[in-house]
Amino acid sequence: MKNYIYKFLWVAVITLFAVSCKSTLEDVPVEQQTLEFVFDKNDSAGSNANRFLFDIYTHLPVLFNRVGGDFLDAATDDGISSLNSNTSVQQLAQGTYTSTNYPDDQWANCYAAIRQTNIFINNIDQVPLLGKLSNGTPYNKVWKAEAKFLRALFYFELVKRYGGVPLLGDKVFQLGDDLNIPRNSFADCVQYIKNECDSMKNNLRPDPVEPSNLMRPTKGAALALKARLLLYAASPLYNGGNIDGNNALTGYTDYDKERWNLAAAAADSVRAENVFGLDTAFKDVFIVEYNNERIFARINGSNSSLDKEDSPMGYTLSNGRTSPTQELADAFGMINGKDITDPASGYNSIDPYKNRDPRFYKTFFYNGSIWLSRPVETFEGGADKPGGTRQQTRTGYYLRKFLGDNETLTAFNDHSHDHILFRYGEVLLNYAEARNEYLDKPDQNVYNAVEAIRRRAKLSPYQLSATLTKDSMRIIIHHERRKELAFEEHRYWDVRRWKEAETTFNTSLHGMLIYKLGSGTLTYQKVPVYTMAFAAKMYFAPIPYSEVTKNNKMVQNPQW
Amino acid sequence: MYVASAQDVTGKDTTTNSSQGGSTGTVLDEFAQPLGGVHITTGDGKLIGTTKDDGLYSLSDVVVGQKLIYTCKDYNLKAVIVKDKTSLITRLENSYLKDPEKIDVLYNEKDTKEIVGSVSSVFTRQIETTPTSLYLNALTGRLAGFYTQEVNGFRSARTAAITHDDLAGSLPSNATKYTSVNSDNSEINFNVRGQTPVVLIDGVQRDIYSLDPESIESITVLKDALSTLLLAQKSSRGVLQVTTKKGVAGPPRISFTAETGMQSSLKTPNPLSAYQYGYLYNEALLNEGKPTAFSASDFEAYRNGTSPYLFPDVNWYNTILKKSAPITKYNLNVSGGLKNARYSISLSYLNQEGLFKTSDAYNYNTNLGLSRYLINSSVDVDVSKNFTVGLQLFGRIQDGTQPGALDPSSSNSGTNQILSLLYATPNNAYPVYNPDGTYGGSQIYNRNLYQQTTGAGYFLDNNRDLMANLDLKYKFDQWLPGLYAKIKANVSSTSSSLISRNIEQPVYDLSLNPAGNLVYSRQGYIADQANSFDMTSTVQFFYVQAAIGYDSRIGDHKFGGMLFADQQRATFQFDLPQTFTNLAATAHYSYKEKYFAEVAIDKGGFDRFQPGHQYGLFYAGGVGWNISEETFFKDHVKWINLLKVRGTFGETGNSNENSLGYFSWRSSFGQDGNNSYPNPDYQSSTLVIAEQMLANVNATWEKAHKLNVGLDMAFLQSHLKVVADYYYDVYYDLLQQRGATNQLMGFAYPNENIGKNLYTGQELTVTYKNNIGNFNYFITANASRMKTEVLNMDELKQAYSWNKRTGMSVGQTFGYLANGLIQTQQEADKAPLLAGTKVYPGDVKLVDLNDDGKIDQFDQTAIGNTKPIIYYGTTLGFSFKGFDCSILLQGVKNRTYQQMDYSFGSDGKSQGYDYLVGRWTPENAATATYPRLTLGFNANNTPYLNTSSYWTRSGEYFRIKNVDIGYTFPLKNNKFKFSGIRIFVNAQNLFTSTDYSRLDPEIYSSNAYPIQKIINAGINIKL
Repeated sequence: MKNYIYKFLWVAVITLFAVSCKSTLEDVPVEQQTLEFVFDKNDSAGSNANRFLFDIYTHLPVLFNRVGGDFLDAATDDGISSLNSNTSVQQLAQGTYTSTNYPDDQWANCYAAIRQTNIFINNIDQVPLLGKLSNGTPYNKVWKAEAKFLRALFYFELVKRYGGVPLLGDKVFQLGDDLNIPRNSFADCVQYIKNECDSMKNNLRPDPVEPSNLMRPTKGAALALKARLLLYAASPLYNGGNIDGNNALTGYTDYDKERWNLAAAAADSVRAENVFGLDTAFKDVFIVEYNNERIFARINGSNSSLDKEDSPMGYTLSNGRTSPTQELADAFGMINGKDITDPASGYNSIDPYKNRDPRFYKTFFYNGSIWLSRPVETFEGGADKPGGTRQQTRTGYYLRKFLGDNETLTAFNDHSHDHILFRYGEVLLNYAEARNEYLDKPDQNVYNAVEAIRRRAKLSPYQLSATLTKDSMRIIIHHERRKELAFEEHRYWDVRRWKEAETTFNTSLHGMLIYKLGSGTLTYQKVPVYTMAFAAKMYFAPIPYSEVTKNNKMVQNPQW
Repeated sequence: MYVASAQDVTGKDTTTNSSQGGSTGTVLDEFAQPLGGVHITTGDGKLIGTTKDDGLYSLSDVVVGQKLIYTCKDYNLKAVIVKDKTSLITRLENSYLKDPEKIDVLYNEKDTKEIVGSVSSVFTRQIETTPTSLYLNALTGRLAGFYTQEVNGFRSARTAAITHDDLAGSLPSNATKYTSVNSDNSEINFNVRGQTPVVLIDGVQRDIYSLDPESIESITVLKDALSTLLLAQKSSRGVLQVTTKKGVAGPPRISFTAETGMQSSLKTPNPLSAYQYGYLYNEALLNEGKPTAFSASDFEAYRNGTSPYLFPDVNWYNTILKKSAPITKYNLNVSGGLKNARYSISLSYLNQEGLFKTSDAYNYNTNLGLSRYLINSSVDVDVSKNFTVGLQLFGRIQDGTQPGALDPSSSNSGTNQILSLLYATPNNAYPVYNPDGTYGGSQIYNRNLYQQTTGAGYFLDNNRDLMANLDLKYKFDQWLPGLYAKIKANVSSTSSSLISRNIEQPVYDLSLNPAGNLVYSRQGYIADQANSFDMTSTVQFFYVQAAIGYDSRIGDHKFGGMLFADQQRATFQFDLPQTFTNLAATAHYSYKEKYFAEVAIDKGGFDRFQPGHQYGLFYAGGVGWNISEETFFKDHVKWINLLKVRGTFGETGNSNENSLGYFSWRSSFGQDGNNSYPNPDYQSSTLVIAEQMLANVNATWEKAHKLNVGLDMAFLQSHLKVVADYYYDVYYDLLQQRGATNQLMGFAYPNENIGKNLYTGQELTVTYKNNIGNFNYFITANASRMKTEVLNMDELKQAYSWNKRTGMSVGQTFGYLANGLIQTQQEADKAPLLAGTKVYPGDVKLVDLNDDGKIDQFDQTAIGNTKPIIYYGTTLGFSFKGFDCSILLQGVKNRTYQQMDYSFGSDGKSQGYDYLVGRWTPENAATATYPRLTLGFNANNTPYLNTSSYWTRSGEYFRIKNVDIGYTFPLKNNKFKFSGIRIFVNAQNLFTSTDYSRLDPEIYSSNAYPIQKIINAGINIKL
């Protein structure tokens, strides 16, 4: 009996050991890769490093329905959200936010992206990349330049919201590091981004970039970023119009006319590349992937989700998310280039959508426009404005811009919906604005730039009066920006940098109330639908409250 | 006659013994098996006999008409008048409350008298009256220090396939996923003194909660440091220990129970009728200066119901929910065996149905449901006098069904999807069916709720559990009496999978075109039935334990000790296994059962910490003094039968792997889920690599210093017992994010060993048991009070004292104080404002604590309950002449919750409920119970983003939690030769009293499955 017991015990013990010693698993998880694996010293193709770089691309800004499901432009006088409830853009439009709940807070996102770019910049030289561009630039330099471009762009995204922000250089922080870092001045930040653009631009891919590398930033992208940066820096809000006196965080403390000249020169350098031009069809810029107006975009793929989100709500699966305002509609003049207020324009208030600026038809769905083989009905009780609790236009308009060529189809087709972050049309307008501000009187270069935009818009005649003053030219340029760049996330910043928001964004917005009479006749009536509010402090976004409390060197923006 | 059957069972002829002068009788237990150790006394208390193990006793002089009283520990007292001297057969019933000599502590059994820690237990009788699938439901209100909150009325199965995110805490934000995946409990939150306990099933750690209470022998809660120390890096958490029934030598004891109950919802929200909805919706629009959405003719149509298709008024609660649903359970227990080989087998089946209606159009079941099969068998063999082998096999199959509702745009599916749709869909959203028989729907409600419930196919989930336990114990009595060695090994596996047979069906939006014809426009989705199969969870556990122990007694000195080692390895999904290792030693000493001392020390490790920093040392000790054994006390204070003071103190640990993250000491990079960046060809994309984790090299286990002091007392011949405990537990090095998490870091901060919390409390249990003749009755009441305090959370300096979180309760809600509603325009003009808002009469009046004229974060302060929570339960009952009855009363004090309501939902288009009728209007300004109506988010009023005390609701309640009434047929009436038949009725959640009645205070979430009231009846047959 005893023997039997001992045998049994032995078997039990041996069995336990056999089980417990047989682990074939690794000690630490292999899926947790190390820095050495990502920046592989043996991989001359740098495939992992390239994937790391692509992760940084995923942080690029998006445009469509970005802020709580709405376009940022729905927080301007160009549009409102079709939602009845209190949306994020509504908070932006009415200033109902504080430093703890700013709806467009990009602070964390941008610094997260900057951290990743710094890791990349610090480590990419360990990878023995063999590739070279045709001009001889080795890939290490190209990729590092791409990361630097992205970093510069993220800093620009911060600066246009918050003013001067902490510049971190190439530093990658770890847990023990001191993060009580002060903000750099606005001037420092502009200088830093500008210098980065200057130093990295020649290492980027030259334009035009081959189709397989379309997602990568090119020299043109760096030039366009610099042009936009310097235009902003020269604008009244920062250049002499500092809302906080001598606060170097919120702008320059002096006015310097030369800044306009620098901005104009920067924009002109994009033209001097001689590779970009205006696409003949305005709408194709956004839905045809390869066009020579596109400078840099976030790739978004070919799909119809945007079409569904923004098409008039009466169509199957459509949501009609955005309601452009009557103010924007009125800003589009007539095809003859005249404003609708001009008695000679031919505008007819009982047939208001006739003979308008051709871009109007590419920007708006209005009552009677054709979509998916039927007319859009935004009259009261119409298919696209039926009343009741459904989500529907609040202005009588829906947003047509960016959507595919679906007029004669019966269902949505997939289209390219890349987020165009920089395009040549903007560069021309940047140039015209900066040059006009620099000169006492617009010269032919200003005319050429503005008329190129109007010509492509198919205004007839597109030429401007030859005797425009600087002020009247400014009005025209601002107007063209509003029409040409509507819903491309420019208006929100433009009105701020022009320092006009206290009037422009402190106003009632209107829609078109349309009744269809028994006889079939339509009546049009402009009615207020929404009230914006703007206070001076809203020129700058509040730095997140917690950042100010957690960092003893962090200074909040004025009045927040 | 019964006597014959008793002879059959026992195989003994009781009548022959009676010829020897006096009388001989038999005492039987509930299974009609002989019962030893029964004292027989005369009516005046003189002991005249005691039964032996064969249940027999002999009395010398018994006369007919004499009263005999039978008493036995853990059995009800029974008084019998002798009628027939020749057939003195008596059966005793188990008492409801038990007082066992030995009690299960961690990995061991211990003399109740020697316990110096804080331990409380319940036994089968107390929990088997609860007709639910989880035994946790049965513990509510029964154990001091054990708190439960039912958050869901029905099991909700995991429906998501295993993905990358299921790595056990691969990122701080994903960390919590790990526990929810593997637990079979989705219904009840529970804690022991504020901590989630480690659950042991028959001595093995497993998160198993879905068991049949009838197959459970006892459930013990271990609350102090000493009792749990052998868990080392989990020892801070407390223990919930479940012991299933074990075999007892003897002929087979067979018990079969069949029961069935009806479940119905305790409380569901009351939706507005279509007319009321439209009226209030218009009011909300007008309040915001927007044009109204409904016209007078619309109201007329809603009210008179003449156009039910264009102007529907559908009460969705009645349309898709049944009033009640059955729950059925069968249980078979067989145990018995020889003296040296004992067995126990338990089989159990449970079927629970949900409240969803089904459609006759389909011949398959789309309702929510659960079928559970359980088998538990154990064999204990005494191989020799010194060597015992035990083998236990436990298997469980749980199959669940739920409706196939699915919303690809959110993660909702099945029951959750239906409940959230149900909560959000207004009565006037769409008709159930259109006139042509198609499903109704609309642009915003593009899923038909009735279709989602009855016609969307179904999900099936299957869970399999297997557990095998081997126990070896060898006593080295031939070498050194008292020395023993034992080994325990366990393999255990659990897996669950989901079959989806889900189907999409389109809905059609009905409208009238200008020509007066009905126009149908399709809004829903059409898709083929997409069948899929996914593994949703799989875990393997391996556990081995070895111990050498010694217990001895020399004179009045009783002493012993143990060397102990164990290792648990758990492999979750595709994670690397995680291993807990313990090397421990314990020692205990007692003198004359008066003085007790016990110590334990454990070097415990967890392999997810950085190599070289995986092991920690944990220790605890305790002392006890039984004052009532002292002669100076015993001789003078007769009315106190027991007076024992005891105390323990120890340093415990908690690896807290959920907060730690997965190998978080490494800085790691990897593919971030499916994140990718599209290539310009739009056909492919590049999978990206990103930084995943900051290296957190210094992270270590959390620790606690736990002090427990207790007092056990008994009075009135031990009829009255009192157990009181006080604890002072300081938890420190808690893994939390630091206060200064600066976003310039560009990455989420990991949890570091920062927090320090204090939990203190008092627990009291009072039990009184007695009898009046054969009327045995008892009452046991317990109450627990727990106070928590944040001692350190690395809080940044707050501008005002009322902003400070440190010093408040753990998890204290913070928000604005509200002072009713603004009543007049003057008040509104003067009111301090949240940034950029305007207020009007009828809005919530927020209090500007720092008087700076605006409402901002500096005005946030502790709102809701700030007092220590108190929870209590009382069970009382009796047994008389075959009838038995017990009632559990249970309640919670000092608890509040924040109601999360928007009028018409956050999107401004959802259902409205009857409480909106009490909204503020100029007419009922003084009595309004809800702010003026607005649509969707309103910064000042709605509670979601802006927690204010206006929305604080009392979470206090008092329930008649459980009632059980049974009748056991007397033996002689038993024509079927059963040794026992009991019929019973019981009820769960019979009655609730609470201050705030819109929803149940326990389950206040509006779209959770409601708590169920269950009325249940059944029969138990013993053979």
